[in-house]
Amino acid sequence: MTSGKGSETSAIHTVGLTKYYGSHLGMEDVNLDVQKGEVFGFLGPNGAGKSTTIRTLLDEIRPTSGSATILGMDTHRDAVTIRRHIGYIPGDLALYPNLTGMDTLTFFANMRGGVDWSYVDELADRLDSDLSRKVGDLSTGNRQKVGVIQAFMHRPDLLIMDEPTSGLDPLVQREFQKMVGEVSAEGRTVFLSSHTLSEVQRVADRVGIIRNGRLITVESVAELRSKATRQVEFVLDAKADVAAFEAVDGVRNVMVEGNHVEMSFGGDMGDLLTMATERYGIDDIKTSEADLEEIFLTYYHEGEEEMEVRG
Amino acid sequence: MTLANVFSKTIRDRWMGWAITAVSLTLFLLFGMSVYREIDLTIYTSLPEAFRSLVGIGDDIDVGGLAINVVFGTWGGLVVAAIALVMGASAIAGEERDGTMGILLSNPKSRTFVLLSKTGSLLMLVAVATVAVWATVHPIAAVLGVEIAGLDVEALSLHLFVNALFYGMLATAIGAMIGNRGMATGVTTAIMAVSFFAVGFLPLVEGGNGLLKFLPWYYFDGSDPVTNGVAWGHIALLVSASVVLLVASIIGFNRRDLKGQSVGTTMLDRVRGNPLLNRLIGRLAGSARVSSIWVKTITDYQTLLLITCGVAFLMMGVMMGPMYASIPTDTFAAFEQLPEQLIALFGGGDLSTPEGWYTLETFGLMAPVGVILVTAIMGAGAFAGEESRRTMGMLLANPISRSRIVFEKALPMVLFAFGVGFATFAGVALGSLIADLGMSIGNIAATATLQVLVGLVFGSLALALSAGTGRTSISIFGAAGAAVFFHLVNSFGVLNDAIADLAWLTPFHYYLGNDPLNNGLDWVDGVVLAVLSALLIGLSFVLFERRDIRQHA
Repeated sequence: MTSGKGSETSAIHTVGLTKYYGSHLGMEDVNLDVQKGEVFGFLGPNGAGKSTTIRTLLDEIRPTSGSATILGMDTHRDAVTIRRHIGYIPGDLALYPNLTGMDTLTFFANMRGGVDWSYVDELADRLDSDLSRKVGDLSTGNRQKVGVIQAFMHRPDLLIMDEPTSGLDPLVQREFQKMVGEVSAEGRTVFLSSHTLSEVQRVADRVGIIRNGRLITVESVAELRSKATRQVEFVLDAKADVAAFEAVDGVRNVMVEGNHVEMSFGGDMGDLLTMATERYGIDDIKTSEADLEEIFLTYYHEGEEEMEVRG
Repeated sequence: MTLANVFSKTIRDRWMGWAITAVSLTLFLLFGMSVYREIDLTIYTSLPEAFRSLVGIGDDIDVGGLAINVVFGTWGGLVVAAIALVMGASAIAGEERDGTMGILLSNPKSRTFVLLSKTGSLLMLVAVATVAVWATVHPIAAVLGVEIAGLDVEALSLHLFVNALFYGMLATAIGAMIGNRGMATGVTTAIMAVSFFAVGFLPLVEGGNGLLKFLPWYYFDGSDPVTNGVAWGHIALLVSASVVLLVASIIGFNRRDLKGQSVGTTMLDRVRGNPLLNRLIGRLAGSARVSSIWVKTITDYQTLLLITCGVAFLMMGVMMGPMYASIPTDTFAAFEQLPEQLIALFGGGDLSTPEGWYTLETFGLMAPVGVILVTAIMGAGAFAGEESRRTMGMLLANPISRSRIVFEKALPMVLFAFGVGFATFAGVALGSLIADLGMSIGNIAATATLQVLVGLVFGSLALALSAGTGRTSISIFGAAGAAVFFHLVNSFGVLNDAIADLAWLTPFHYYLGNDPLNNGLDWVDGVVLAVLSALLIGLSFVLFERRDIRQHA
């Protein structure tokens, strides 16, 4: 992890990447290693430093210290060569309002070459994108589709996407996730940022979590899922017994109100359901995913404190 | 506190531009007075009446009067009105362009309230800027020992204030009624420029005086307020016109649909909307517009180029020939007797010859301003524009180097500079032919070439500032400020030996310094200007290569 270029199989490799805007911290000591062919989710709340990291990788901004390589090449020195191999969607996408979607794609295609127009048609079809309209007249979601096509259209080796699904409706999001899966199946790499865990879980193999400019952890999605607490609610046919629920592995914070029981749960859902169905009749069940902030609070918050103590 | 309401937020957003304007005008006043103090003013007493009226010098010539006339009356009047105009055009139409009008009006405030708040802040800022400049006049005069007791500076200030308000309201009204900021700015600027120009010209032709009252600019200083005091009739007229425009704004804004961030439909879009024509155009032009950055840049600024070239060709060029021919010859007969130094003062324009006329009216100020306008806007927008619109990230995600972006942004700027130059050349040549003035075509071409090169210096400066800072306002103000400063140094150099020794430092010295309309191209001048531009463009490569790209406006 500490060697300058990373291994032969690294798509993205950063060493001690740090960026200060004046005295304001953008990111600090970020060490990432994204392997070729994987889908890597970059997760963090708003303002955590996701975009700063991505913009540094793209050579839009230069690190205060540390370095990064993409496909073994230095992100600053070899910036132009690198860009031949990547597709990019910036966060908070802006396009030229006076160009149509097709004009926009043509413009970028002319700059890089190697665009297969039948593939563009296919992408537009899959995302249900009307390329004949001016970008300025499009809704946020429809504009985002143009950005997505633009990033995919030359079949890049590495896709770097900053919150690519913002503004897309659920149907299109699903199609997008399929497209990401196909890219990965072809052995190409995807690096995408998000602030919602569920979205990243659906597509990514591994997830890096960044908060306050610091990379807190890198985990496989399976590992993360096991840690992810869910909020579970049962409406039972009898008064719930707190002890019986607390006895199940992964149950915390049980609250009982008559027949209604509510808890945080981070274990095997099968165990919980078995126990509940054995003892009660279940009138209703509701589970909601813990959001990112909750995971931070329950799990990573401690880790962060440790880091601060050590630091 | 400053975000308390629309009024104070608008002031918060705009005060900086006004502060810069007020400080610059004050500095020019200081500069002007100290220069005029040094010169022998007796040369002015020999001026013929007609000439004095043309350049706006009253009967009682003195140092204070000259400085105040030039700085306050001409520069101040134009600059304050121009800033008011820009602010007015943005008041309603600017919010629509930025896509913020929707959210502003989602608050429990009426459209009329928003419009009145914007107008109120315009009124306030114009007033404060006027008072700020006025307040420095007396202390500056006292410090420099210049006598201004007989001058009604207050009257001129009031005229300046009301005049600026009128153009601000005109732009506000057009913007409020149609929601197109570009159109509001363009139409108002055209009305201002044409009437400013015509007010200077009409008194020279027979019967021209009768037409003056149809020109808005006439009501600014047509009554010579600094000598004659406030012309209340004129003030009342401008104020009433402003009120009428305000009412029109309210009615127009309340009645129409709000525009989104949408860009409107151009003639070309309509043509492309027709499938048959679209196929034809596609075959003819391909998708040339988006074939590369430099071609796209050219199409982005084509309207600016067309308008500027149109004005340069027709107004600065063709029209000037017949206009010169229409002025009675005896008006200018007296000029032949004038001392050489005085002729040089007005840009070397010996008005008894067509070359002198064109040097004064066209090439002296307007022609380089045309090139600077186009190149500075393009230069400033080159990087800062893409960055404030947040499209630079996408551009840089492509396999092209930053150097190539600089090159492809600088190239259209240079081409457009030559475009404006060519339009000026063609206009002046045609004007000379139509009016049978017999000017040398070669010398016109030489002068237009130098015009292009001197304009490019400031365009390149804007480009370098844009490359180095990524901020549009710094680039535009920096380049425009440098142009005004160097122009003043160059003009004052004629009057003052100490400044004349420094004249070689100003780019304008290499422009008309050797009277190219009479003497043809001085190669050294051309090379100096070209090298200066080349250095600044070269600097842009270095600066842009090193810098972090800005993400937000």
